[in-house]
Amino acid sequence: MRLAFGIATRFLKSNISQTLIILLGIGIGISVQIFIGSLIQGLQKSLVDTTIGSSSQITITSKAEDKLMYDYSDLMTSVQEADSSVKAISPVYDNSVLMDDNGKTQSLLVRGFDLSLADEIYHISEALSEGRMPEKPWEIILGQSLSDEYGLAIGDKVSIITPDKKTQECEITGFFDLKVAQINDSWCIMPLSSAQELFGAGDAVTSIEMQVNRADVFSADQIADKILAQINSADYEVTNWKGQNEQLLSGLSGQSISSLMIQVFVMLSVVLGIASVLAITVMQKSKQIGILKAMGIKNRTASLIFLFEGLILGIFGAIAGIILGLSLSAAFTTFARNADGTPIVSLYIDAKFIALSGGIAILACLFASLIPARKSSRLNPIDIIRNN
Amino acid sequence: MSYIIELDNVNKIYGTDVRTQVLTDVSLHFKKGSFSSIIGQSGSGKSTLLNIMGTLDTPTSGTVLLDGMDTSKMSRNKLAEIRNQTIGFVFQFHYLLPEFTALENVLMPYRIGGGKITREITEKAKEYMSLVGLEKVMNNNATKMSGGQQQRTAIARAILNNPALILADEPTGNLDSDSTETIYKLLRDINEKMETTFIIITHDRNIAEKTDRIIEIADGKINMDISRT
Repeated sequence: MRLAFGIATRFLKSNISQTLIILLGIGIGISVQIFIGSLIQGLQKSLVDTTIGSSSQITITSKAEDKLMYDYSDLMTSVQEADSSVKAISPVYDNSVLMDDNGKTQSLLVRGFDLSLADEIYHISEALSEGRMPEKPWEIILGQSLSDEYGLAIGDKVSIITPDKKTQECEITGFFDLKVAQINDSWCIMPLSSAQELFGAGDAVTSIEMQVNRADVFSADQIADKILAQINSADYEVTNWKGQNEQLLSGLSGQSISSLMIQVFVMLSVVLGIASVLAITVMQKSKQIGILKAMGIKNRTASLIFLFEGLILGIFGAIAGIILGLSLSAAFTTFARNADGTPIVSLYIDAKFIALSGGIAILACLFASLIPARKSSRLNPIDIIRNN
Repeated sequence: MSYIIELDNVNKIYGTDVRTQVLTDVSLHFKKGSFSSIIGQSGSGKSTLLNIMGTLDTPTSGTVLLDGMDTSKMSRNKLAEIRNQTIGFVFQFHYLLPEFTALENVLMPYRIGGGKITREITEKAKEYMSLVGLEKVMNNNATKMSGGQQQRTAIARAILNNPALILADEPTGNLDSDSTETIYKLLRDINEKMETTFIIITHDRNIAEKTDRIIEIADGKINMDISRT
């Protein structure tokens, strides 16, 4: 083992420029793999974040005709008992209304939130473009686009008309921009108690919305199943974002597969490159192998020399690749920026993924050195001695 | 008297379509501690004979006994072991490893045999190297030495493991007459001190005449086999 290792390092050192070129080749391959992987993972994370990061990921609704849930606080306790990955949970009362602003009407969706709880899901306070959150009864906030369209300002009073023709005057305390036009155009956010009173719903809500921990986003369907099992009642329905975003999911999985394909082919070309270079090295070193065999080196040791060469190239190539890949990623996030200074794509640097890439690189190099190792093992010293 | 190597009816044929018979019914026995030379014209089959004796090549028919053991019945690993422990080679084209220094080349058979490089063995290698007059170039890379120096390095390498048999193919082929004389004396010295058996191929009549036994090969057959008594 030691002998084979010693000969392998000497062979590599004796032709250092060739060794460095091979290392560069492996390094570039691995760096591309790491870069593409981090890029796609980052893209997916930011896509998932923007799509469902500020919305309900699991929602409990009632199957009753009036859609009302009176025992919502018990349900919320059950949910939290069912799965610890639920990080934010909020009761909501929804109903549609008409807003009347001096004769101009606009249909709105009243969203009655327990504002401190809902803020954890929708990040409303961060999305406020002006004004403040509603605090007192009959205070509301509207989307920024409505302010622009109707010329509304903070402190203005608007009339809200319920389907039962009940009219209520409300004061606008702020405008939000939740980055989704449909939401900005239609949501009218008010405290839960105001919404309940507006529609005479007593202490009932129409849904319970929740978000799970970031790492568990893709298990939302399983968590939803658990919650359904826990509340154990046919009166409720539990929906999750995955069921409602099949197109997004198939897009994401398509992206994952194509990223994986790119990575596999990059790795394949690295393997083929190393294999062919090592095969040439066996040719270059066949005289030496012949001499060593004439001096009594065993076939196993002769093949070990090239396996060690593969291993050494793999380890150093992986290190070079990781350094290159991370620098490339750092350069990309530093120089490719939006007008507001945020990176166009925030890469997701996952230590596990990088370690895995490095590990695969080493294994690939070992695998690539199998052919030259076999050649070396089979080399007959007499062919070298006889042909000089 | 026991023999270190015995060849009986050895034939060697190269090629399958165009068959070239290189050796025909060669039977040779070499006594332990003897010093023999093989002479003959280029292409007469001397080197093939030496390669067969050194287990690098196999005869098409006939048997080769090394220390009484049939080499055709040995595994490849066993043959490698024998080449490492029992036989020392000095090739016509010296064949050093260019990636290693002269000293490392000399130590290589010892390392292949599984030995750890101790101060003791390094000293021994250095001693052999000064014996062949290489004390000044020990740490030179093998490629940075003259032909004669490389040849002498190959000799030091062949004797390091104290093999019972040394096979040398034109060990003095590329050397001037003074060096030739020195090398011959050196080999003879080792032969006497360590009772190592030597079989050397040579073109040099002067050298051949000094050996205990001269075997002449012509067209793959033994043409002459004379021993000094």
